Amino acid sequence: MTAADPNPEAPAEAHPVKLKLTNVSKLYANASKPVAALQPISAEIRAGEFVVFFGPSGCGKSTLLNLIAGFEEPTEGEITLDGARVEGPHYDRLMLFQEHGLFPWLNVIENVLFGLKRQFRFKPKARRQKAREFLQMVHLDQFEKAPIHELSGGMKQRVALARALAPDPKVLLVDEPFPALDALTRAKLYGDLQEIFLRTKKTIILVTHDPREAACLGDRVLVFSGRPGRIKADIAIHLPRIRDINDPKVADYAKTIMSQLEGPADESPAT
Amino acid sequence: MKVQPHRIKYYVLGFYLLLLTVWQGLFSAQVLPDYLFPSPWQVVRRLWELAADNYLWPSLKATFQRMGIGFSIAATAGLLIGLLMGMSRVVNSCLRSLFLGLQTLPTAAWVPVSLLIYGLSDRGIYFVIIMSSAPAVAIATSDGVLHIPRIYLQVARTLGTPAYAMPVRIILPASLPSIVTGMKLGWTLAWHGGVSAELIKSTIGLGFLLQMGRELNDAAQVIGIMVLTVIFGVLLDQFVFGLIQKRILLRWGLSQKA
Repeated sequence: MTAADPNPEAPAEAHPVKLKLTNVSKLYANASKPVAALQPISAEIRAGEFVVFFGPSGCGKSTLLNLIAGFEEPTEGEITLDGARVEGPHYDRLMLFQEHGLFPWLNVIENVLFGLKRQFRFKPKARRQKAREFLQMVHLDQFEKAPIHELSGGMKQRVALARALAPDPKVLLVDEPFPALDALTRAKLYGDLQEIFLRTKKTIILVTHDPREAACLGDRVLVFSGRPGRIKADIAIHLPRIRDINDPKVADYAKTIMSQLEGPADESPAT
Repeated sequence: MKVQPHRIKYYVLGFYLLLLTVWQGLFSAQVLPDYLFPSPWQVVRRLWELAADNYLWPSLKATFQRMGIGFSIAATAGLLIGLLMGMSRVVNSCLRSLFLGLQTLPTAAWVPVSLLIYGLSDRGIYFVIIMSSAPAVAIATSDGVLHIPRIYLQVARTLGTPAYAMPVRIILPASLPSIVTGMKLGWTLAWHGGVSAELIKSTIGLGFLLQMGRELNDAAQVIGIMVLTVIFGVLLDQFVFGLIQKRILLRWGLSQKA
């Protein structure tokens, strides 16, 4: 297993712990009895790390992401960001959703500006400048005045990405991001996301059920198994960036990741 | 029969010409005596006389002024109540049943009670307009708020929008398509209510001209004012509210030809 290997490409171990999960569990109250969505989970995510939560649907990986984002509260345990306990949603743990969720009543740049409105340390002019920078980063600076309904699916996801990056979150949470896009557009977005990761050195947590996507994007892949959800393996990916989703080495890692799920010791079936 | 879309307007035009011809035909055939059933031409001539005698214009102005004031109040009240309904389950449960009940009342049914309360004043007309249309606006607005895609609220929260800023920044704009639909319906109901009230309560306005026609046994005037009422109602419905609605649906990605 590769979990204990040193990682020469991304020596994340040298960086301070950004996000710390201590015995985090989640129970959902059901009609008859509480259902455990997450068994107590502990993990550390370091500053500047790209961590992927991988697992079949229903394994609790999205639940954990929601807990980190503050949309829900853990039943037990604690989540800290830079040592401070997280409470409720805040843009320092900003979530990028499956659906782009762009506001149709605003145009492209107004959408990106939305999250900057509350950052009073910037003057309006500086905010607009910042929004432009992020649109440039996702190669959409030509479209700042465009209404949302005129954009293609891939462009919408890129605007959503720029909007999520603009408030400068400490951790970017990405929930199964590019599901409804064609393969070509997805491959391009994987490239964009890695480029942005390298440029901004942002801490990113991404949730996916696609082992290739996990291997292509993550410095580390935490493999979840259900139910209740728990972390089954922690795999470091030693590949230089920017990685290509179709690279055979990525496919090899994807195989390693998948094999963790098919392990014999697992008591409950996946999915 | 398959008709090309751009030619449909010719069929519509033809239909109305046919309707006029049938009207004229029935008149010429003397199905009813002509003082009860005037010809299209007599109707137009009567409207022209009303305009020339300076009856028509002040009445149109009065009606539109009442509608403008009454509907503005109704729309504002309906909007605020609807937002409240959309944001509070208790308020929604209470008011929704009440408003749906009130909507089963014909708008003219508000006239007697307004006479009792306000007598023969314009305030009574406003009352009828407001009671006729505000519930429809409120219900449509609350529907809009209740059906806001969850994703907008989640995105706003993760972007750090505080709860107090949600109504203005998310809830209102996100429910705008429903609100406009409600305004369109509300306008039609306000128009019904307003003209009904004018029938009984006023000395000026489209409803008054209608009533005056009846008192003079002037069928041409009655029918002429009815036609005018339809025309102005439709014009506002289609060309003001309809166009706004079309633009919003397109922009919100809800239109079929996006």
